[in-house]
Parts: sequence; C-alpha cells; structure tokens
Amino acid sequence: MPSYKLYYFHGRGRAEPARLMLAAAGLPYEDIRLEYEQWPEYKPKMPMGQAPVLEVDGTMICQSVAIARFVAKESGRAGKTNIEQAWADMMADGFVDMLNKMADYVWYEEDEARKAEKKKTFFDTTLPEFLGYFEKLLVANNGGGGFFVGDGLTHAEAFFLCLSDDIIAEKPNVLSPYPKLAALVERIKTYPGIKEWLAKRPQTPF
Amino acid sequence: MPSYKLTYFKHWGRAGVLRLLFAAGGIEFEDVRIEREQWPELKPKTPMGQIPILEVDGTIICQTKAIGRLIAKEAGLAGKTPLEAAQVDMIVDGLSDLQVKIVDFFIEKDEKKKQEKIKEFAEKTLPMFLDTYEKLANSSGHFVGDALTWADVDFFSLMFFLKDHLPNDPLKGHVNLTKVRDNVTSNPGIAAWMEKETSH
Repeated sequence: MPSYKLYYFHGRGRAEPARLMLAAAGLPYEDIRLEYEQWPEYKPKMPMGQAPVLEVDGTMICQSVAIARFVAKESGRAGKTNIEQAWADMMADGFVDMLNKMADYVWYEEDEARKAEKKKTFFDTTLPEFLGYFEKLLVANNGGGGFFVGDGLTHAEAFFLCLSDDIIAEKPNVLSPYPKLAALVERIKTYPGIKEWLAKRPQTPF
Repeated sequence: MPSYKLTYFKHWGRAGVLRLLFAAGGIEFEDVRIEREQWPELKPKTPMGQIPILEVDGTIICQTKAIGRLIAKEAGLAGKTPLEAAQVDMIVDGLSDLQVKIVDFFIEKDEKKKQEKIKEFAEKTLPMFLDTYEKLANSSGHFVGDALTWADVDFFSLMFFLKDHLPNDPLKGHVNLTKVRDNVTSNPGIAAWMEKETSH
C-alpha cells in the first residue's frame, strides 16, 4: 500500500474533498495541517507553490481536483467507464465553479461593498441557476435517488458535500427547492467511512 | 468507436485544445461551430448552460476539462498510470488557473483597466507562471514521462491563444517549455490540424 501524506492548513477548504474520499476508501494517511508560519518553509517544496499537496510514496501531486480524483480512483470510486468518469468529472467541475465563485468574494474581494454585492449576486442568481442544473443532472441518473454517477459514490459527491456545507452555513434552507440534492446530502453524510470522519474531523472556521 | 460531436463557437477559446486532442489521437469527430445568435436556443439543451459540450453516443458531457480528459483517454494521452494521470491533471488544472486570469483581462470592458490588466499579466503573472512550469517540464519537452500527453497539448493550446495578445514570445529563455511546444507542433495529427486551422 502506498504511503499518503496530505499537506494543507487547519481547515476543510480545498483539501476536504480528498479527505472525504480517503475516508470513504478507508485509506490511512498523514493529515498534515500546517501553521501559517510554517508555510514559507514548505511553499518552495510544493510543485506550484500551493496547497493542498498529496505526497504518494515521495511523488507530489498538487491541485485539489487532481488529488481528489486520484484518491477516488485508488478505491474504484471515480466512475466505472470512460463516460461515467467524464460525468463524475463534469459534476465535480460544476461544484468547483460554485466554490470558486464563493472564494472570490470570501477570500479575494477586500472592498466590503463589492464583497456584499458579489455575495448577493451569487446567492440570488448564480447559485439557484446552477442548483437547478445539478438537480436535473442528478435526476437524470435513474431518478436521482442514488448518486450522481452509476450506482456508487464518487468524487462528485465529495465536492458536492463541501459546497453544500458552505452554502447551507450561509442559507440553511438553500436546498429546499431541490429535494433530490437535499436527500443526497444526507446519504453522503451517512456513507460508511465518511460518517465516522464527519464525526471526528476538527471543527474549523473554513 | 463511439461517435463524437463537439459543439462550441467558431473561435479557439475553450474548445481549441479539444479539437487538438482529437487531431492528435486521429479520432474522427463532428466539429460543430455555432454563431453567437444560435446560442440562446442551444443553451437550455446543455447540461449546465455552457459550451463546449461533447455528445458521445447520445450522452452530453460539459465542462472543458471533463471533456478533455475523456478525449485524452481515448487518444492514449491521459497518462500511463494513475499517478501519471494525476500529474497530467495537475498540469492542466494549473493552466486552467492561468486561464482565469486571461479571461479576466479579455472580458474587461474599460479600455484603460484592460490595458493595466494586460500589463500586469504580461510582466508579472505570466512570467511567474512560466518559471514554475519550466521546472515542471522535463528536458525532453514533456510534462509527464517522456511522451506526449494532454498536459503538453493544453500548454501549447494556451500559448497559441496568447500569441495574438502579447508583444513578444513569452517562451523565450524557457528551454524545456520551448521543447514542449515543438513536440506538440511536430505531432503529425496536430501539425495537419494547425495547418488547416491557420490557413484562412
């Protein structure tokens, strides 16, 4: 079995999808959480000067989606055919687009007025449009009572859970117009491995 | 072999790399290029209200990188092992991050702000990015292993797109990256495709 070391900060953030897939797979790993003061020392060692990074027997992989997909594949949870894999990838990318829009106003907008404006546009316009697409795409997979792809959990669910955590924290009933998505959140939370991780993971602001 | 139908606008944009991947793999595909005016009618028929989309035996896939990975796998350009595939993915994701910065100046409507953004991009953002990517490419001119992958093709595609927006060749002085570009342009399928694409 390879050795896995996941480097990130004290938070869920961009590392959490990988942590969720590692939990679903039951794969042991070193969950390294760097202090900000340590980052200048670690940054030059990372392929693109960023975290998260997954070190697999000494090889360093960066970019959160690449990492999550790799971990998903390690336990056969990335889709069973090329088309299934493309569907899982497409869903994950859609969720990441939403996460990036949130990061844009949360982390990268300093002007308070602009921040509030972007957040409003996100919750009033962008997010409802895309949740509508996501609900429809879930339903397209055998009525939407299972998972996004085939008949099992994939990295698509990991990214979706991270997105729903963030949007529900802001707006608790945000998923009520999307019943299949709301029900899926509960199914992910009780998935073996993930359920235990959610109960024991550090509670962090991001 | 499945039937492939790619739909996008006419320009290079997000589909340029996808068409290159089909060309590199010698894979036949229907290359549908729509006019702007056709977009409103097509939009509701797409999975996430966006293009490019790829129809594969009736299933419609969206998201450029999901599509790219699918074609790359068919063409044998997605990496030879799961770890190599992850390395290909990470290179492509980094290029995608750079593309966000490009889109930002591309769609800027205020001309003065646009020029400021292009200046910042050309003088700071891009050079820093290329310094990082020079180290990630090897001396045989590949990002992963020693054969062509989607990572190489994607890098070339973005540099090709940037060509018209920058005064100088940004790869000057970057030995490995220049080799990557050369490897891509000398791939027979890609060479033939580029000849067709740039001859009108």
